[in-house]
Amino acid sequence: MHTRTQGPALIAVGLLVAASGALTGAGASAQTTSAEVTGIGVSIAFTDYRLDWMNERAREFEEAHPEYEISVQGFDDYEALLQSVTLAAQQGDPPAIAQYFEVATQEARDAVNSEGEPLFASVEAAIDGRTEILGEPVVLDDIVTAVADYYTIDGEFSSMPWNTSSTLFYGNASIMEAAGIDAAPETWAEVEAACDAIMALDDAPSACITWPNHGWFFEQSIAQQGGLLANNDNGRAGRADEVQLDSSEMLSFVEYWKSLADAGHYVYSGTQRDWDYTTNSFVAQEVAFILTSSGDGTALVTDGAEAGFDVVASRMPYNGDADYAGNLIGGATLWLVNGLSPEQSDGALAFMQFVNNPENAASWHRETNYIPITNSAIALLEEEGWFAENPYASVATDQLALADGSPAARGALLGGFVQIRDIMTLAMEDVLVSEADPAERFEQASAEAQEALESYNSLYAEE
Amino acid sequence: MYPLLAAAVLAGALVGRRAWLRAGLRGVTGMVVGALAGFVGPLAVMNPIRSCTFDDERGGVDRALGILLFAGGAALAVGLAVWIVNAVARPAGPRAARDITFERGSFRGHRFFPFGLLAPTLVILVLFLYRPMVETFRLSTHEVRTTAPRQPFVCLDKYTRLMEPTIEWWAIGPAALLAVVLVANVVLARRGAVAPSLRKIRDLLVVLVVVAWATAVFGARYRGVFTTTLVLTTGTVVLSLALGLAIATLVSQKIRGRGVYRTLLIWPYAISPPIAGILFYVMFDPLVGIIGNVWETLTPFEMPNYRTEKWLARFVVILASVWKTIGFSILFYVAGLQNVPTDTLEAAQIDGAGPLQRFRHIVIPALAPITFFLIISNVTYAFFEVFATTTYLTTGGPSGATTDVMFALVQAATEQGNFGDGAAQSVILFAMVLAVTGWQFRSTGRRVTYGR
Repeated sequence: MHTRTQGPALIAVGLLVAASGALTGAGASAQTTSAEVTGIGVSIAFTDYRLDWMNERAREFEEAHPEYEISVQGFDDYEALLQSVTLAAQQGDPPAIAQYFEVATQEARDAVNSEGEPLFASVEAAIDGRTEILGEPVVLDDIVTAVADYYTIDGEFSSMPWNTSSTLFYGNASIMEAAGIDAAPETWAEVEAACDAIMALDDAPSACITWPNHGWFFEQSIAQQGGLLANNDNGRAGRADEVQLDSSEMLSFVEYWKSLADAGHYVYSGTQRDWDYTTNSFVAQEVAFILTSSGDGTALVTDGAEAGFDVVASRMPYNGDADYAGNLIGGATLWLVNGLSPEQSDGALAFMQFVNNPENAASWHRETNYIPITNSAIALLEEEGWFAENPYASVATDQLALADGSPAARGALLGGFVQIRDIMTLAMEDVLVSEADPAERFEQASAEAQEALESYNSLYAEE
Repeated sequence: MYPLLAAAVLAGALVGRRAWLRAGLRGVTGMVVGALAGFVGPLAVMNPIRSCTFDDERGGVDRALGILLFAGGAALAVGLAVWIVNAVARPAGPRAARDITFERGSFRGHRFFPFGLLAPTLVILVLFLYRPMVETFRLSTHEVRTTAPRQPFVCLDKYTRLMEPTIEWWAIGPAALLAVVLVANVVLARRGAVAPSLRKIRDLLVVLVVVAWATAVFGARYRGVFTTTLVLTTGTVVLSLALGLAIATLVSQKIRGRGVYRTLLIWPYAISPPIAGILFYVMFDPLVGIIGNVWETLTPFEMPNYRTEKWLARFVVILASVWKTIGFSILFYVAGLQNVPTDTLEAAQIDGAGPLQRFRHIVIPALAPITFFLIISNVTYAFFEVFATTTYLTTGGPSGATTDVMFALVQAATEQGNFGDGAAQSVILFAMVLAVTGWQFRSTGRRVTYGR
């Protein structure tokens, strides 16, 4: 028995553990209000250079407003962020601002904290008609129309949009020139014709076009054709309780996609939601065209230049047989957490306006190629000549400006949207890989989506 | 429900009486205790779900599940009673229990000290294993999302949603064969003849029937997931054990540097499953993968794309899992091969048995305990860890070809935020693990002999 040497060793270990426990316990919580400084917690679902950008804005805001302290926390994805915010709210210590993605808007509106109160408060209501908060001019009314339309529900602009994108068509200019294609294809028929021309070349790439198998592209195509995903005006006139995945617009898109795949023009990555495969194939010149987010624009243009070809960005091709209604936004928005003290609320609102003021919105666009979110920012960038130098940068904004404001173009507001998107992408994978019949498979998908929506609504709908 | 309760009480009474008589106690006590168990057991199981499966608007599947739960509760309670009576009625009788003293052993003189030492472990087990298990059962009967204001009770909907029993030829066929074999067994037993090969066929058929019926119970949505799990698990276990044994045999020979070879062969085991997934993702890439390159150089055939071919996707997942986990089997088999009785081997050699016969009849039975253990650990790996490889290799595979039970439930719970669905699928996985372990203990456990 080594009792004599074990005793002191045990005590030392115990002290060490206690000391480290005390140190971690003394870590600052998200909201602290001492007599001088109010703490504002900001939860962001980025961990890369976009988080760094947000951190820089936080430091600038703190310099201008020394009575506030902004602590920005990055997350790997939106689901982790929402869980963290919910649990923090349950413990009575939530951040002030939480970023959440666009199709989860219904879930964000429905979310409740442990007291049964809504988790998020309406930004418009909190601003309460002021034109300036803590010296920061309010920019909520200057937000680009298409974006404001998406996030305004029941006439209430409930969150502060931040990073918004749209779907764009990118083309390899060298291959297009070789095939004699002067202008980027705008309709589905033109895409097919362009692909026929490209694949007939001697040194044709392995495939003509690709895009990720992600729910967003289905929603975009339906919106373009003026189709609806859910009842009650896409969920905007009242809570959606019926979802339809086998509408004629959806089936047109699915059949067009399938025909491209059957002709060998569209190449499927093999995994759902594979954004990297799309951009990598394009940069490696394995495909001539891709559809992807406008947020990838800067990276694609730069990488393409390095690889030795020019990149042309244009509108997402639409169904020439249907009237064009508009393209949808993508991206995320900043929500204001409910139940904050007046100082915290004002500080959070001021920070939101600061992040979207013309200079900052222009800087955000320049760095990431998310669209300039306010009209003033667009004007500022035009003045600078940014769009003249970088023609790809204005395509998304122009495309969004074409939307006609109908419920179809505004996009669907649905609960359980992530599950419904998964149902769509799995159905499409079955069509592409297992030769499933589109009409049958999407009818089945529609039933599954309806079930998912009903489970969701059973939790939130008034009984 | 009342006729069912009466049936359970009656069955409990009969079983109890028989068990008590066998234990040498009075049959009447057995009847009473058995009847009580048959009454309490089912009620204890049905109470948390408020017997909702027997409501009027519920369908056939709900009722069937309800009856199953009823029977399960009764069996558990009566089984517990029988187990207790068998334990108490040892040759020394109930007096043996009274003779337990605390005068011997490490803890002599301290009656409750051992429980104090066990307490931390018990607390952790309860907090992190048992309570979450009970909570999972509870969650599987509710609609749960983290941000929701309520958690409505949905009875067994999460299970019945996955179950749409259909009658399939591949479920009826083996069942018919099994019936024939059982009848044949009974007839032969009556006549006093013994047919061990018939018993082996019967065991195999039982397994086939259970698997086929389980597959037939699940509906279109979950049947693919269940089948995929079976395919991936069987592939991983069989390949891992067979290859592991083969490699272990090779490495057990007296060759120079076998220590180095053994270490190199076991190395992949130190890699975590997602890394194996990423490695094989790159190797089998249809455009730039090295495997495709080598294949197309050496053979005139084109390498299929594993991301769009379902059978190849499953094969690649099995390959990646086997590569990662085979080190474990090799390690244990090498150790086991060193313990094979050499005198028996020599005797067999003198008797003229060839190497293959020696291997089949002496080495493999001698390795039975290790094989038994490796089957269980490989099945555990295949159920729980292959999901990590799949996530990076195929993300659920072309059209669900590599979506196993674990992948489906992680997707439901964490990605889609639907904890009720995830919990129900967890319980199904739990049932599968129980079934496999039970089968293993019954079939292989019987044949395992420890020592000479």
